[in-house]
Parts: sequence; C-alpha cells; structure tokens
Amino acid sequence: MTDFYEIIRQWPLLSGIQVVTALGLLTVMLVPENRPGLIKKLAAVFSGVDLLICILIFLAYDQEAGGFQFVEKHLWVKALGIHYFNAVDGINLPMILLTGIVLFTGCLTMWELENRVKEFFAFSFLLVLGVFGVFMSMDLFFLFVYYDIALFPMYPLIAIWGSTRKEYGAMKLTLYLLAGSALILPGIILLYVKSGLWTFDIIALSGAEFTPYIQSIGFLLFFFGFGILAGVWPFHTWSPVGHVAAPTSVSMIHAGVLMKLGAYGVLRVGAFLCPEGWVQWADLMAVLAVIGILYGAFVGLAQTDLKYVIGYSSVSHMGIVGLGLSTVTVSGMNGAVFQMFAHGIMTALLFSSVGYIYDKTHTKTTFELGGMSRNMPVISGFFILAALAGVGVPCLASFWAELLVFISAVKVYPVRGILAISGLLISALFMLRVVMKTYYGPANEKYAGLSDVTAWLATPRVILAGVIVFFGLFPWLMLNLIQTATVSFPKVMGF
Amino acid sequence: MQDQIILFLPELFFLLMALVLFGLTLGSGRPKPRRDYYVALVLGAVGLVLTLGSIKAEGHLFFQAYRLDLFSQLFKCFLSFGLFLVICISSRLDDIEERRHPEFYLFLTTSTLGMMLLVSAVELITLFVALELSSYSLYILIPLRKGSSHSTEAGIKFFFIGAMASATMLFGMSYLYGVCHTTYLTGILSSLPAQIHAPGAVIGMVLTLCGLFFKLAVFPFHNWAPDVYEGGTNQVITFIATASKLAGMAILIRLTALTNGSSAYLINLLIVLSMIGMTFGNLVAIKQKDFKRLLAYSSIAHAGYILIGILTMSKLGYSSVIYYALAYLILNFACFMVLITTSEKGKNVAIEDFNGLYSRAPLLAMTLLLGVFGLAGLPPTGGFTSKFLVFIAAIEKGYFWLVVFAMVNVTISLYYYINVVKAAYLNPPAEGSEKIKISVPLRLLNYVVIIIILWLGLYPATLLDRARTAAEAVLAVL
Repeated sequence: MTDFYEIIRQWPLLSGIQVVTALGLLTVMLVPENRPGLIKKLAAVFSGVDLLICILIFLAYDQEAGGFQFVEKHLWVKALGIHYFNAVDGINLPMILLTGIVLFTGCLTMWELENRVKEFFAFSFLLVLGVFGVFMSMDLFFLFVYYDIALFPMYPLIAIWGSTRKEYGAMKLTLYLLAGSALILPGIILLYVKSGLWTFDIIALSGAEFTPYIQSIGFLLFFFGFGILAGVWPFHTWSPVGHVAAPTSVSMIHAGVLMKLGAYGVLRVGAFLCPEGWVQWADLMAVLAVIGILYGAFVGLAQTDLKYVIGYSSVSHMGIVGLGLSTVTVSGMNGAVFQMFAHGIMTALLFSSVGYIYDKTHTKTTFELGGMSRNMPVISGFFILAALAGVGVPCLASFWAELLVFISAVKVYPVRGILAISGLLISALFMLRVVMKTYYGPANEKYAGLSDVTAWLATPRVILAGVIVFFGLFPWLMLNLIQTATVSFPKVMGF
Repeated sequence: MQDQIILFLPELFFLLMALVLFGLTLGSGRPKPRRDYYVALVLGAVGLVLTLGSIKAEGHLFFQAYRLDLFSQLFKCFLSFGLFLVICISSRLDDIEERRHPEFYLFLTTSTLGMMLLVSAVELITLFVALELSSYSLYILIPLRKGSSHSTEAGIKFFFIGAMASATMLFGMSYLYGVCHTTYLTGILSSLPAQIHAPGAVIGMVLTLCGLFFKLAVFPFHNWAPDVYEGGTNQVITFIATASKLAGMAILIRLTALTNGSSAYLINLLIVLSMIGMTFGNLVAIKQKDFKRLLAYSSIAHAGYILIGILTMSKLGYSSVIYYALAYLILNFACFMVLITTSEKGKNVAIEDFNGLYSRAPLLAMTLLLGVFGLAGLPPTGGFTSKFLVFIAAIEKGYFWLVVFAMVNVTISLYYYINVVKAAYLNPPAEGSEKIKISVPLRLLNYVVIIIILWLGLYPATLLDRARTAAEAVLAVL
C-alpha cells in the first residue's frame, strides 16, 4: 500500500482536480439546454471524480514527512516572478477534502432543480474551480485570481436561483466580498515589493524578513480583507442575508466552503507571511471573535426563519475559528482548522435538510412548521444530528474542534475564553429551540401528506452525516494531519 | 534614402489609404456603402499587417525630430489594430448618411495617421502638429451623425475645449522652449531635470501636459467626454474611447519621462488629479442610465488609474501603462462592439436595453460580461492584470496609500459595472424583443476579443516583456 501511495505522490493530482473541474464546466456548457437530466448526471460524475481524487490525496499524504507535498511548480511569468505553484500541507488538505465532499453532495442535492439547470451547474463548477484554486495555490498571484473567480459566480447563483430578497442579497454579498478583495490586493503587492525577492511564491516569501511595520499593515489588510469572507464581526452582515437568499446547494457551498476561504486566507497569507503582525493584532482578533460568537448566538435566538438561524449560527461558529487563530498557539490553530472542516460539513448538512423542507413546504419559518419529524423522520434526523454537532455534542466532529479552541482560548485569554464558552451555551439553546419547534410539538396539518426523502435524495445527506460522525469518532485522523502544518508556523507557541 | 522610406512605410501607407478614401469622397454618383466598407476594411487590414511587420524598426527621421523605437512601434501597432477593429464593426453605419461614409473612413484614417506620427514625435513642434492632425479629424467626425442636434452640440463642445487645450499646450511648450532653448526632447531632457524647480519649467511642463489631459479625459479636463460620448456616432466614439486614448497615454509617457521624476511638485499634482479623477468618475458613473455616458465616466476614472502608473516615472510604471493601454483598448472595444450590435439603427443604448441579452445573444452577453468585468479590474481579465501591474509599480515607488485609495475606488466602480451585467444576465428581456442575429465575421471577432481579454489576464508574459523593453527605449533615448 505504501508503495502505491509512493507512486500516487508523484502524480500531478492537484492539477488533476482543476482539470476535472474545468472539464466539468466545459462539458456542462456544451450539452444542449433541453437535456437537464444529462447535465445533472454529468455534474454528479465530474464532482464524484473530484471527490475521489481529493480522498486519494488525503490518503496518500505522508504525515510522517509532513510539509508541502504534491508540489507542482512551473514558472509562469518570469519578469514578475509568478509561478503556477500547487502544493498541499496539513492546513489546505482538509479544506480541499471539504470542498470535494460539499461539491459532490451539493450536486446531488440539486437533483430536483428545473430552472436554468445548465447555467446553474456551469456557475457552480466555476465557483468551485476558484475555491479549489485558492486552497491549493501557493502563489499569491494565482491565489488572488482564484479568489475572485470564486466570488463572482455567487452573484448570478443567488440572484437567479435564490429566494427572499435575492437581488439585494446577491448585490450586498458581492460588494462586501469584492471590497474585501480590494484590501487584499495592496497587501499582496506590498509583500511582493518589500520582500525584495520579486516573487509571489508564498513559501519563498515566508522566508523574507519584513519589518514589523510592514507585517503589521500587511496582516491588518489580510485580516479584514479575507475576514469579511470569513464573516468576522462587524463585517458579517452580508452573510445571513446571502445565506437566506441563496438556493440550497449554493448555501451549502457558500457557508460550507466559501466562508472557509476567508479563514484560510487569514491563516495562510496573513499569519504565515506576517507572523509579527499576527501576534500584534491577536488581541483585536480575539475581541472581534468573541463578539462574533456572542452576537451570532444572541441574534440567532431571535430568528424564526430557519435559514437565518443557520446563518447566524455560522457567524457564531466562524467566530470560534477566529478565536482559535487569535490564540497563536498550536492547539488553538489545530482546533480552528478542524472547526473549519467540521463546520463546513455540518452547515452543508443543515442547509441541505432545510432546503428539502423548503422545497416541499415553501416555508422556512419555524412557527409555520412543526412536528416535521412525524412526516419526515429521515430528513429531520439529519437536521437534528447537524444541530447537535453545532452545539458541540461529543463524538461528533466539531466537539473536538471546539474543545481545542476553548482550552487554548481560556489559557491565553481567560475572560474572553469564558465569555465565548457562554456564547456556545446560548447557541445550544437556540438550536434546541428550533429543533423543538420545527421538528417536534404539534404538527401542522397542511404538511401531513408530504413524503420524506427518497433513498437517492438521502444519499448526499448520509455522506455528510457519515463524515461528521466518522471524524467525531476518529478525530486524530484529521488532527494529526493538521498538526504537521501548524507546528511549522512562525511565531506560534506550544500547547 | 531607401532605408528611410522603409522606416516610414506604415505611415506612408496610411497616408495612401487616406488618399484613396479621399478619392472615394469625390464620387458624385449613387453612394456605395458596401464598396466603401470593403475598401476601408482591406486597406485597414493591410495597414495593420504592415505596422506589425515594422515592429522592430529603429532609427531617426526628419532631422532627428521623428524617432522609431519599440515604444513607438508598439503603440503604432495598437493604434492600427484599434482602427482595424473600428472599421470591422462599421458595416452597419445606420446613423451616418450613406454619401458620407467615405468621409467617415477618411477622417478615421487621418486621425490614426496623426496619432501614429504623435507617438514617434520627439520634437515639440512635430508633436503639436501631429496632435492637431489627429484632433481635427475627430472634431469633424462627431457632427457627422445625422438627424441629431445633440451631435452638433457635442461636436462644438469637443472642438472648443479641444482648441483651448491645444492653445494651452502650445503656450506651455513655449515656456519649455524658453527654459531649455530647444524644441528637441533629447535637448530638453538634458537641461530640464536641473531646472525643473524653476517656476518657468514647472509651469511649462504642467501647461503642456494639460493638452494631453484633455485627450485622456483626466479630471478637470473631462467635461467634453460624457456629452461627446452621448452625441457622437457609436463607431466614432468607439474610436475615441480606444485608439485616441492610447495616443494620449503614449505621449504622456514621453513627456513625463523628460523630468526624470525629479519634480515633486509635478508628481504631487498628478497624485491629486488622479485621486479626484478616480473618485469623480466612479461616483458620477453610478447615476448614469445611458451606457455610453457610463463608459465616458468610467473612462474619466480610468484616466485616474493610468496616471498612477505614469506618476511613478519608472520603467515598471511605464511598462505597466503600456500594458494597460492594450488591455483598455480591447476591453472598451468589447463593450462598444456589444453596444453597436445591440443598438437599433445606431441609436444610443441605455443600460436597460441590455435586459435579457443573455437569452437574445449569449455570445454578446459573454463579451459584455468580460469587457465590463475587465474594466472593473476583476480577474481573470486583462483589466485585472494591468491594474495589478500599475499598482506594483506604484507601491515600489512608495505610493502605498494611493493604491489603497485606488482599490477603494475600484470597489465603488463595481456597483455600476455589476448593474450592467445584471441587466444582461438577470433581467428578463423586454416584451417583443427578438433574438439578435450575429453574422459569422462578427461571431469570429467576438471570439478573438474574448481570447485576447483572457490572454492578457492570464498570461501577461509575452506582452509584458515587450512593454518593458519599450519602456526602456523611452527612458534610454531621453
């Protein structure tokens, strides 16, 4: 087996993912519009192949060796020092796997879509092409290009197929996120120019000696630039609005994967390249993260729209990622990266469950629903499982992530750590309240005749639920991998 | 002698082309618009090929007043490419009387010729004459539009502001001559940096640049742009928005290089103009309903971005502006091509006329999307890469906060650019609107434009290397 993995490691699998995604995009575009069935099947096949490659890379990554593997580096523009440079380590590998899972399950979830199917899948593939690119690119130029490619398809995806004030939601989201990218660009160029190396290669730049002042400005730009996408309070307002407006699978990709791009950017570009700036601004990060956790939880408490509930819980949960990063400790970062993965899967499951209910009942407000578990036990079960994962029930993936973050947070920032934990209690309260109102209690007669998910439509949800439970039971499979990367971060403290 | 003729061949060809077209204007029989179109198209294509062939030409002509180097030749290629593109989309000149079609092509050609002379001119009087040749041709082109009082008004406005700018420029040049005692740029360069702190030199330089700011629609010399864009024939405006902007950039590079970056006063002035221009252009563009007016205000903002590259006065800055020039040409052309194809009978196009373009003509919608996003500076288009290069040059010179300011402006601009895309892709088509038929050549042109936009965005290496060598050529001569 080891020999097999040895061979696998020689293959340019990262480019393979890009090629398969790009082929998926092209193939979908070439199929005539009046064959939606074929388009959906093709989408499922291409996303399935993507997922398989992701799993293969995950298995083949040599944890003992650690560091950057599956490296593909080719000079692209000599005059500017731009490289086509892909590599994975313990931080982006979980993210790539996450993207693969969410893309595949997202494609399956949209099986019942009927309106402008071809464009929907074309835009989805374009978006994911960008997401994969950001996660695997080790060159700042490409990273930025991919980042913008990932952002722009959100606009049509929400504005065409969305619901509830969709155009407003789409415009707000796009302007917010592109405003973020407008901060990132000067940051990238600043590092490029001030390094004196004339390269955009992230690994080479991490060896450059930037003055504390440059690192300070650089980190701040990256923190706010990428942070907007990660839903950092007070720049989170696009997020619930966008989530609510987006169609199911887009919400899944959006909350599940896209928000992670932001956190990943803060980590990979901000913390990795400007470690002193990171340490300097860690206090501020922690404060914003704790406010985000508490704010998301409190506002979530007052919501009656299921998607708003998940949207605000995302703000809260992404706050946990921010808190983990702000501790500047290995365990905090491990927790943060694991939380990114776990939250991605969990939110995807939440949105896919709510999406099904919305498709059938055309409502997502808690007081119009009720007793859903009697008519639709299976889909309700998925929601409840994901909600429990969000609350941090042991044996589910996010439990370990949250545990790690909170332990390190309490050690580094005792008061803020305890405040954050209390936020978790509130979010438990509102999640359970939603579960109680929507899935238990008196049933709404209007929806008595609705059927539960078919086995085929349950498949994507089963996969997501399976992943949550699997990594809840075997957390070290992920944590050991993450640890290989986080220990090598400059400036990071132990424990 | 023979060598010199070969060096001057592209210009001579365009002169010949102008003569041929002039011959066509003399005909008194029935107008033959198809014949005029094909003659212009074929001649334009030959001109482009000739110019491309002369890209490596180097040397001096006319007593050192005219210089051929990679910089001038590269810009000449851009210019003849621009002219060719504009002729390509002129097969339906609905709003110009048929008997005036030869005049239309004639003045486009003379204007291009003027600009080609302009980019090679290294002597103030030559430069001025070339500039006037190109400008006067444009003044005539604007009121050619039939049945529109708007176009006459625009023509007059354009002419008066243009003449004012020329006069100012000439006045400035007289100062430069007074300070440096020569009209040759090489001579000016050897004495100007030492004297740039003298009031006469600074005033001379600033007044000279004012004439060029007019061409580029830099704030506060932008007043003509919205009205002229709105009033002129779509094809003429395409030319003004693409080729004529390039000539402005080229000569701005030549002239600012004269100071060697040694005048803080001049640089600060450019910073202020750039900041106001970007902000003003973008903020006013948000309110526009007419697509051409929107592009006019966007061009004012773009002039601001271009100034950032120019005020660095470094090799990197100049090469980024050269890169910007081609990207800007092709992006604007993409927008105008869609505008012209969508427009009925050559009328102006409001943004809401793009409603449902996606279902009426998917290919045009794609071109529009790439063009508009390119102007907004989003990857993977040429617009992104050119801004990226300009910003690198600026940060290298320490103008970090100017770049942050520019990025804030880019974000503001996204709003109105996205609205255009929204109309094309999301809004339902107006009732009774039919599918737009696209001929095979136009389809091909669309593909070519799309490929160039993406090529400039994703693979900047080839052009960038050329641009760098060209920028070196400017800095080396002078």
